Amino acid sequence: MAVIEARGLGKSYGTRRAVDDLSFTVHPGSVTGFLGPNGSGKSTTMRLMLGLDRGEGRTTFDGRTFAELEQPMRHVGALLEAKPFHPTRQARHHLQMLAVANRIERRRVDEVLELVGLSAQAKGRPRKFSLGMGQRLGIAAALLGDPHTLILDEPSNGLDPQGITWLRQLLRHLAGEGRSVFVSSHLLQEMAQLADEVVVVGRGRLLTSGPVKDFVEHGGTAEVLLRTPDLGVLAPAIVAAGGTLTPDADGLQRVTGLDAARVGDLAHEHGARVHELSVRRATLEEAFLNATGLDEEYRGAITADRPAGETGGAR
Amino acid sequence: MTDALRYEITRLRTIRSTYWILGVAFGFQLLLTVLIAWNLPETGPLSGGDQTFAILVTVGATLGVAPLFIAYVIGLLGVFSMGHEYRHGMIRATLTALPSRLHVMLAKVLTTAVLSLVAALVCVGIALLSAVSFGVGLPSVGGLRDITVGTVLYTTLFSLSGLAFATLTRNQTAAVALLLLVPSLVEGLVKAVVLAIKASSGDPTSRGGIVDILKFLPYDAGGQMYTRVSLNDAFQVFGYKPFGAVGGGITMAVFVVVLLVLATAAFQRRDA
Repeated sequence: MAVIEARGLGKSYGTRRAVDDLSFTVHPGSVTGFLGPNGSGKSTTMRLMLGLDRGEGRTTFDGRTFAELEQPMRHVGALLEAKPFHPTRQARHHLQMLAVANRIERRRVDEVLELVGLSAQAKGRPRKFSLGMGQRLGIAAALLGDPHTLILDEPSNGLDPQGITWLRQLLRHLAGEGRSVFVSSHLLQEMAQLADEVVVVGRGRLLTSGPVKDFVEHGGTAEVLLRTPDLGVLAPAIVAAGGTLTPDADGLQRVTGLDAARVGDLAHEHGARVHELSVRRATLEEAFLNATGLDEEYRGAITADRPAGETGGAR
Repeated sequence: MTDALRYEITRLRTIRSTYWILGVAFGFQLLLTVLIAWNLPETGPLSGGDQTFAILVTVGATLGVAPLFIAYVIGLLGVFSMGHEYRHGMIRATLTALPSRLHVMLAKVLTTAVLSLVAALVCVGIALLSAVSFGVGLPSVGGLRDITVGTVLYTTLFSLSGLAFATLTRNQTAAVALLLLVPSLVEGLVKAVVLAIKASSGDPTSRGGIVDILKFLPYDAGGQMYTRVSLNDAFQVFGYKPFGAVGGGITMAVFVVVLLVLATAAFQRRDA
């Protein structure tokens, strides 16, 4: 099973630096999420890793670059385009064409078609495929050589909820077999369930990398949600203990700086009644927004001036 | 390299355009040669022989009155060989299956050349069949050999230039336009301008000078491989004397090789 090592990746389009001195490692047996705002260089990075784009740096798969691999689909499976096939070539023929280039047995074509749920459309022409079916065919192509490494750019695009669940289970299963899975996605809740590690980029630069758990703990803000009819008694005690209170809807208070046990102890010590005391854990989305807030290239007008912590999706 | 060839052969075999291009080329060649053979006189200089058979094979192109029809149709095979890669985003899938761009390019050159050559040979066979079917006098062995070699080589080089245009432009529509316009419109305009300059010079009938440029118009020069009597011969009054079949063929071949070398260099250096 292969370790992916990307070192010093770089790429410029004219004067714009799309990827800048990007280095990271993807370990076997894990799913590594590749996160970044739109235009942050994720797709360019993946193309650089496979030698499709010309740029700086070097990516190795167990010490060998993609170009050095014999029959590369047996080592690295990639999905980089939404519909990377000719619209009138049958799905089975598309896979057969890729298979013959890598000396992959013909029966494997039928196996991967079945694996992605496209057996019934084997003779179908991709012109008539939905985006989700196209993604499934692209995933089938990536799996064709039973590779030890997968590089997937937004593989869940166009998949329905069942498809996303299927993909998550598939990628977890493949990682569980010891393969290296490197996957980009905009669906952060999905990535939170899928990824073991993350590589986060902004404006082509590495912002952070490491286990998802560490990223969320360090990048997000856990809060204690408190509802009490005795706020006049408890609030000064919380502030004195180093906490911060922020009023929320329906009389709920958001407490930061103290954990739930300390807030409960303070309530007991000051004889304050507590009607609700719960913890809202930091999320990957929140950690991501905190990490990339200054690096987001394309902002909408509504969210441009809104603090990351106040995004509705953080709940 | 073998893997790239297997990929290209499967690519050609599993796509509709291969079949409709060949179908159109063979179908129209049959239709047009039947029409011509049917209407040829039973006696006289056009009742048979080398010249008549050359007209049949080239559907009149040998007289310089029309372009070589089969080259324009079969040439699309060359354009589509690389054009489809960029038009449908296949290039990245191709290069993740075959990372050696040189092998990919060489396989495309080889398959385009062989398929175009075989298709053009079939078209010559269709013309022969029409001649036999309508009792047109058959050509001599030498005549048959010359027109076959000229037509087949021109068509093959034409297809390869289409492949080079598609690789250089990375745009199928632009490559088709170039393949249609460079031989017909661009070279025609160059001819018109050069001849106008020569005609307005002090000695318009002298040999050589600026008209020598015309000898190096690649498609026009290549056309000498199948042209027997051409309207271009009238330009000789301006001192223009084209290369013969061999010189013209070499001129076109050099042009196509240069195009392919440039295309391969660009393919190696550019982003996919």
